[in-house]
Amino acid sequence: MDVTLLKLTAVLYLSATVGFIGYVFFPRDSMAKVSPLILLSGFGIHTAALSAHFLQIGYPAVAQFREALSFYSWLMVAGYLLVQLKYRPTILGSIIAPLAFLMTLAAFAFGSGGEELPPELKTYWLPVHVTLAFLGNAAFALAFAVSLMYLLQEYQVKRKKMTSVVRRFPSLEALDRMNYVLLVWGLPLMTLGIITGSMWAAVHWGHYWSWEPRQISSGIAWLFYAALLHGRVTAGLRGKKAALLTVVGFAVVLGYFLWGDTVFPSRHGGRFE
Amino acid sequence: MDKEIVIVGLNHRSAPIEVRESVAFENSYLNHALGQLRAFPSLHEGVILSTCNRVEIVAVCSDAPAAFDEIKSFLAEQKSAKTNDSFEAHIYTHRGAEAVRHLFRVASSLDSMVVGEPQILGQLKTYYQIAQKAGTVGTILHRLFHRSFSVAKRVRSETGIASRVVSISSVAVELAKRIFDRFDGKTVMLIGAGKMGDLMARHLKSSGVQSLMVTNRTFERAVDLAARIHGNPILFEDFPLYLKLADLVIGCAAFPEILVDAPMVERVLKERKQTPMFFIDIGDRRNFDPRINDIDNAYLYNIDDLKGVAEENLQERAQEAEKGEEIVQEEVRRFVAWIDSLEQVPTIAALRQKLDDIRQRELEKSLSGGLKDLSEKQRQALEDMTVAMINKILHSPISLLKKNPQGEDDEDMLYVTALKKLFDLGGK
Repeated sequence: MDVTLLKLTAVLYLSATVGFIGYVFFPRDSMAKVSPLILLSGFGIHTAALSAHFLQIGYPAVAQFREALSFYSWLMVAGYLLVQLKYRPTILGSIIAPLAFLMTLAAFAFGSGGEELPPELKTYWLPVHVTLAFLGNAAFALAFAVSLMYLLQEYQVKRKKMTSVVRRFPSLEALDRMNYVLLVWGLPLMTLGIITGSMWAAVHWGHYWSWEPRQISSGIAWLFYAALLHGRVTAGLRGKKAALLTVVGFAVVLGYFLWGDTVFPSRHGGRFE
Repeated sequence: MDKEIVIVGLNHRSAPIEVRESVAFENSYLNHALGQLRAFPSLHEGVILSTCNRVEIVAVCSDAPAAFDEIKSFLAEQKSAKTNDSFEAHIYTHRGAEAVRHLFRVASSLDSMVVGEPQILGQLKTYYQIAQKAGTVGTILHRLFHRSFSVAKRVRSETGIASRVVSISSVAVELAKRIFDRFDGKTVMLIGAGKMGDLMARHLKSSGVQSLMVTNRTFERAVDLAARIHGNPILFEDFPLYLKLADLVIGCAAFPEILVDAPMVERVLKERKQTPMFFIDIGDRRNFDPRINDIDNAYLYNIDDLKGVAEENLQERAQEAEKGEEIVQEEVRRFVAWIDSLEQVPTIAALRQKLDDIRQRELEKSLSGGLKDLSEKQRQALEDMTVAMINKILHSPISLLKKNPQGEDDEDMLYVTALKKLFDLGGK
């Protein structure tokens, strides 16, 4: 991977983090304008780094844990920048920017997490499966951040004591709507990610499902999100309960992402028989 | 002579309302009053401010004590004969940097009764324009007022002085904005015809709410109120049926009775598919069950809660005001430096004058003494030579001073002061 570009990306994500967190404490319009732009420039460099690597090895760099981290943070920032265009929840950046920075940093800290991809696995399934699955997870990461903001604000409104940080959050109604929109996008992407993964497994290993920890955690998260979306559409499941379910669902995904590979080495951790 | 800014006036702290009223200027009378002000020999420029909380004369003069006396008697003349208490005791005077600071504080709403209220800046602009049209504003007040407008903007944007609302109904609207993203599609139900509820409903309407239901035990009063605030009256017996349509419910009935209880809200929320509801119990008597606040997607604030938030916000403003004072202090220093720099031009002229006086005096002495036999041509040459000498001597100090004639540097001021002292040029 092009280390210089990635380092530059990390520096820009860090600057954006400083800007966004500064905005939480010193809300100036200039900060609200500049911070997303810094993040955008970091995203640009990040895109260049990932493309360069892609051209070099011929398939998206996602097989190793550190590559996955980097790719994932890239998608998450992309998702945030899109949401920012429409809803302008600048305060959300104060969660996303540090996350992106830490993940990029972690990508350096972790050595190569596994073997090189065996040549017979370098097919079109890989980019399709990984991109879809990660896009779904990126949507859920944003939904997670939005839900945390919802829960904090809801608690303070009910308690009748509001901190000045919460006063700059989008309204509960807006946060709840963002949660819904992200869920509506995230679930189909995750579903397609799981399906394409199974197809790929079937082509190469001969079975669709092998009870890997990654598959199990995705399965659990998928059930959570599907139940949540169903509840939202039919039974008026919204607000605090919906936010809580989103947080729990993402905790499963996150838990696997952080510890799953070390505890249970598997194909998803870069170990291919 | 040196010009100085002075302020003479009274405000909500220094004088009771009767005294303020007695000296207040009617808008139609302002032009006449400004004309009178211009006639005073000690005043060069002047602006009159007259709001319900303050009456102040901001002026530029060359003799502050004389100006104070003139303005005080001018104000006393405005006073109607009704009030007889010692008028003088309510009046404050400021001069120089203190006057600048006072005006900056007034513009930034640091001197207001409700610190951070936004009206004063607009009022200041209006009174400034009136004076400008009347021709009583010159260079100094022009700069002073424009500076005060930008100081006010700075204080407003760099501190949280105006970010917290402090009236009950604005607190409730702010809270509603935490819950709802926008008001235009929302429906309000007003139960009871109390004054606060009326006010609250109007406030919500001006924030964008379009649909409003009004109910009251006496239907005629509901009809009356609905007509006044452009809402729809509904029968009191029917309001529970309509509750599911309401996003915001305001309780302001005159009788101490729980009109909406928790099970009722739970039922309604189910019908609404959990679309959030905000209950505002704004009357003196509680009309909503306090347990409503424990239900998901239902929020309840009563009058004490709202007062609590308003009180907190007020304290927050007081803290922010201290940051505002620091900004004002910094701006005053800059402005005073500018005023002082105005003195550079007279200083240069005075220095030239002084040296030229010396030259002519000495020349005359010599020409009538030891050099009296010189020819006309030689005299002219001597004259030219001495003028050239003085010009050469003054060239570098004057060009240094002129480099930044309206400079706000402390360094420039240092030179002006030093020159004045070294050459005994008078002034301060």
